[in-house]
Amino acid sequence: MKRKFRSNVLHLAALLVASVFAFTGCGGGADTTENPVTTGPTAGPTYSGPAPATADIQSFRVAFWENVRGTNRCGNCHNAGGQMPNFARSDDVNAAYQQASTVVDRNSPSQSTLVLKVAGGHNCWLADASACASILTRWITDWVGASGTGGKQIELVAPTAKDPGSSKRFPADPPAEYAPIHDMLTLYCSKCHTSDSATAQSPYFAATDIKESYLAAIPKMNLDDPASSRFVIRLGRESHNCWSNCAANASALQAAIQAMADNIQPAQVSADLITSKALTLLDGTVASGGNRYDSNAIALYEFKSGQGSIAYDTSGVDPAADLFLSGNRVTDYDWVGGWGIMFKTPTAKAQASTASSKKFQQLIGATGEFSIEAWVVPGNVTQEESRIVSYSGSTTARNFTLGQTLYNYDAFIRSTATDSNGSPALSTDDDDKRLQASLQHVVVTFDPVNGRRIYVNGEFTGDVDKSGGGTLGEWDNSFAFVLGNEVSNNRPWAGVVRFVAIHNRALTQAQIQQNFQAGVGEKFFMLFGIEHIIGVPKSYVMFELSQYDSSGYLFANPKFISLDPTAKPGNIPLEGIRIGVNGAEPPVGQAYRLLKTTLSDSLYSAATGQTLSTVGTIIALENGPESDEFFLCFDKLGTRSNVCSNYADTQKVDPAPVDRPSDIGVRTFDALNATMSSITGVSPNTQKVKDTFANIRQSLPATPDIQAFLSSHQTSVAQLALQYCASLVDDPTARAAFFPGVNFSTVDLAGDSSAITTPLVEKTVGAGTQLTTQPAAAAVKFELDSLVGELCTSGGCTGARVFDVTKAACGAALGSATVTVE
Amino acid sequence: MSNMNQTKEADRGGAQLRPAATAKSTTKAVALAVAIASFAFGLDTHAAPPGPREKAKRMFDRLTGTPPSSAELDTLTAKFGSDGPVNTALYIMNNSSSFYSVTLKNFATPWTNRDQTVFAPLNDYTATVIGVVRDDEDFRDILSADVLYVGEGVSPAYSTTSNAHYDTLESTNADLRVVLKKQTQSSLNGLPPAATAGVITSRAAAEAFFIDGTNRAMFRFTLLNHLCRDMEQVHDTTRPPDRIRQDVTRSPGGDSSVFLNNCIGCHSGMDPLAQAFAYYDFDETQGRLVYTPGVVQPKYLINSDNFKPGYVTPDDHWDNRWRLPGHNTPIGWSPDLPGTGSGAKSLGQELAGSDAFAECQVQKVFRTVCFRSPSDAADIAKVKTIKDTFRNGGYKLKTVFAETAAFCAGE
Repeated sequence: MKRKFRSNVLHLAALLVASVFAFTGCGGGADTTENPVTTGPTAGPTYSGPAPATADIQSFRVAFWENVRGTNRCGNCHNAGGQMPNFARSDDVNAAYQQASTVVDRNSPSQSTLVLKVAGGHNCWLADASACASILTRWITDWVGASGTGGKQIELVAPTAKDPGSSKRFPADPPAEYAPIHDMLTLYCSKCHTSDSATAQSPYFAATDIKESYLAAIPKMNLDDPASSRFVIRLGRESHNCWSNCAANASALQAAIQAMADNIQPAQVSADLITSKALTLLDGTVASGGNRYDSNAIALYEFKSGQGSIAYDTSGVDPAADLFLSGNRVTDYDWVGGWGIMFKTPTAKAQASTASSKKFQQLIGATGEFSIEAWVVPGNVTQEESRIVSYSGSTTARNFTLGQTLYNYDAFIRSTATDSNGSPALSTDDDDKRLQASLQHVVVTFDPVNGRRIYVNGEFTGDVDKSGGGTLGEWDNSFAFVLGNEVSNNRPWAGVVRFVAIHNRALTQAQIQQNFQAGVGEKFFMLFGIEHIIGVPKSYVMFELSQYDSSGYLFANPKFISLDPTAKPGNIPLEGIRIGVNGAEPPVGQAYRLLKTTLSDSLYSAATGQTLSTVGTIIALENGPESDEFFLCFDKLGTRSNVCSNYADTQKVDPAPVDRPSDIGVRTFDALNATMSSITGVSPNTQKVKDTFANIRQSLPATPDIQAFLSSHQTSVAQLALQYCASLVDDPTARAAFFPGVNFSTVDLAGDSSAITTPLVEKTVGAGTQLTTQPAAAAVKFELDSLVGELCTSGGCTGARVFDVTKAACGAALGSATVTVE
Repeated sequence: MSNMNQTKEADRGGAQLRPAATAKSTTKAVALAVAIASFAFGLDTHAAPPGPREKAKRMFDRLTGTPPSSAELDTLTAKFGSDGPVNTALYIMNNSSSFYSVTLKNFATPWTNRDQTVFAPLNDYTATVIGVVRDDEDFRDILSADVLYVGEGVSPAYSTTSNAHYDTLESTNADLRVVLKKQTQSSLNGLPPAATAGVITSRAAAEAFFIDGTNRAMFRFTLLNHLCRDMEQVHDTTRPPDRIRQDVTRSPGGDSSVFLNNCIGCHSGMDPLAQAFAYYDFDETQGRLVYTPGVVQPKYLINSDNFKPGYVTPDDHWDNRWRLPGHNTPIGWSPDLPGTGSGAKSLGQELAGSDAFAECQVQKVFRTVCFRSPSDAADIAKVKTIKDTFRNGGYKLKTVFAETAAFCAGE
């Protein structure tokens, strides 16, 4: 049931060994120790046996055997005369080598029987079995030298065929139990989540129409686990517009969803659907442990534990600089699915002891060069002076730091070319925006010639260290190694760290590229059986699947493949692939829904299969990688055709009628300019008018909404009105046209100002029949006459004074609501 | 200020208004204006104008932004009685420069810039909208035709690298009803005729929406301005995400549920549509639109490591995933169009062919003329009627203005 599958994309080896080897534990031995051991192995007896017979045995001795033969590790049981296989015997390294060879997979160290046994909980000398497994993998890798770059073979193993299981599915129409949920949504969410809201926010699950609401709410409810419903999380965890108490609101909604879920029976996958066989993640072929270059790693953090408060240094280089997590899990930090730690609050950090941190100073001091390598997901691009990886004593004293400032990575390294704080920092260029709130591989190297260099996603950023190289002799060995914050807790960084390695060599560009290509996390090849549909022997649709983070899986690189090297597809039509999870089709993330291709001999290669798509997609995690079951559904495959599921059309809903608001408004800036021009007859191109309008244009009303009219608008209106009036009165021709028959040199306005107020009223309020929508002409005239009268009382109303008074009266009329309101 | 001071200042007065007198007069003017404004605010603001004279005045006010003179109002009142309100409105539009230089200019200007400010300068986008309305062209053309309006005989002439031509038109208060002349856009900006897409490929739109970024802004603002929908309203997480580009992180801040609940809802529909603009860019140095047929702009391929298995744009082929059954079918996509194509022109036709496009234009006109959104049942029904007339009558926006003005004047 096996066949070899060579891939030029995946330089990974994953051999599942159906080993018959039984690794018997020490009788009555302790299961695990309580506390991590940070010191080196307790030395076994001084070796006085035969010298290593070959170079490989010498390598075995240095990289592996010396690490495991101590009495606090495997040597306690698997010694000469002890438990078989006695690969940790101290009397004969050649005999130990023979025994070790039976439990080590040289092609895929992580899949060695020895590693899998310890990973399964067998006498790990640390509190976390996965940490011991990683360390053993590292030692074996160092021994067999499996850090080359050549392609490797993936050995695909046919999974056990099984049909998709069942899960609860939403009925097409809203069940009766949806009514209470609908009531809550319409009561509390309808200000935004309805199509006719002034601030409409899709999805419209608060629609008055229960069916419209139900269809929009389906993606936000989880029948199998109501607590994981997006509604519940949005209220409870994300405090999104709670109507009273977020926890209580979330509970109320969760209870309503639970009540609905309780009345829905799990549905079987319809027999009419064209479905592949089903798989869980563990049925896939492991493809992790890619060809990383770690030959000079002195500290390595993979965060595989997923629990507890210690992140183990699995470099295998003693003393292990294990990191102790500060703060409370969930609230301050959390383990991330697919391996990683998320730092959430300023309280969170992961710090090693100063004692174990000394190895950085010692081992890097010995080489004078080093690299910081990390896979990170910055939580945002707004944080500044945040520490991602640091070996420091305070905010002003450090040996090295990788930090974030907005879109930039910062590198501080103390050397003879920089100060005791590692300053000046080397930062990536602002314009490049190298740092993104996305999974990124970042490496900072230091060597005595080039100084600091920053690489993001395998590429040198091109930022040159103006401080140049130097030596590292001044490093302080009393500092502590820390992630996610400064040791003094006042430079927090929000984000996810998925991998960190410190190398005591400056990685080369090629090595950095190699590590970038190797990726991070665990990847599986998933073989979804379709032989029962198309009849091609041992035929599968294969996906590369990994847990992307705590919330989702990454499905990528789908291929058609047969494990029978002689099989060929012929000419088989394939349309529309849906990824199913737990017996149902998730509505979100179906990237292959519109796929249309043909499985054909011409596109198929027995070695590499037939690529179906080059894009990947994220599918939401439901119950976790241990229990989520996946399958594929096809709209058309071979001779069978049946659309997996269609999404319903949404019916257009008219907005709900509301009372009419005010329908009067104010003239806006250009309208005012044109209005004043048309009333006065003064051209808007008159220089003074033009200048005034240009100055106050943006101070005039921009919208006719009368509620938005401010006193500052009125001030600008008055300015413009006065300028128009000044231009009008100062221009004899315009003046004569506007105030016909009025001689400004001889007229006396005292006592009777009708000569000017009557034309003003006629032009602004309107002449002839009184418009009912305008103020009464007599009332306006009375006000204007009063104004003129007052101005005349204070200064007389003949000669030059007439001009001023006329301008003022004109300004009052032109800038009044009779003109500005429409 | 005492009366004596006032007198002394007034004594010095000449032909020019003195500052002190201005201040005093301004105070008075403001006081009076406020008084009259208070009176006006006290009007029954929901009542339609009672008589034909008032109705005619309101139509003139709302369509031109200016009040009619008494003589004009007499004419309009008579016309209102003889020709009916819609024809009176058409008469106003055909005979008033302010409808073009004030109302239409302010109607279109916010569409031409990211801040959506009405204070932005007159530009080729605005001028083209004004011209298309003036000439009663099919309004759908604004998103796809090889058309641009320029000022006839205005110096400096149209330039692909500057807005000076339109700045001059505006600063001289040119009569846009008269001066604008229809041209083929390709003859002005050098684009192949097939690469022109109305205002989408205007210089102003390019400067606002093709500048920097990823060209998604052009799509978003076109949708916002011409389908009256922002991304929030078209958000639909159930679309296939296979065309979402590599630059969109699938795990923002390390949480893919954010992507699955938010990002995917817009990008799954937007990215395959915005691919239509893959050959366009705005060169800030030259200040002009750039078109590179056959060569995808680098901005479509940036930040490729954010999600390596994301979509790599190979060309300008677009697909409308919102046509699939789902949340956005009420947009009313035209059954006469294929829902797929290459380049900005066919995308413009796809957007302009939708029911939402027609409805959006009517709603915008309604807000412009009626000073409110369609509110009660009568408003909603009228908007539907006007939209149907607009669609069935060759997409003449002037008719929409006329019918809306008549309705809001209390026809």
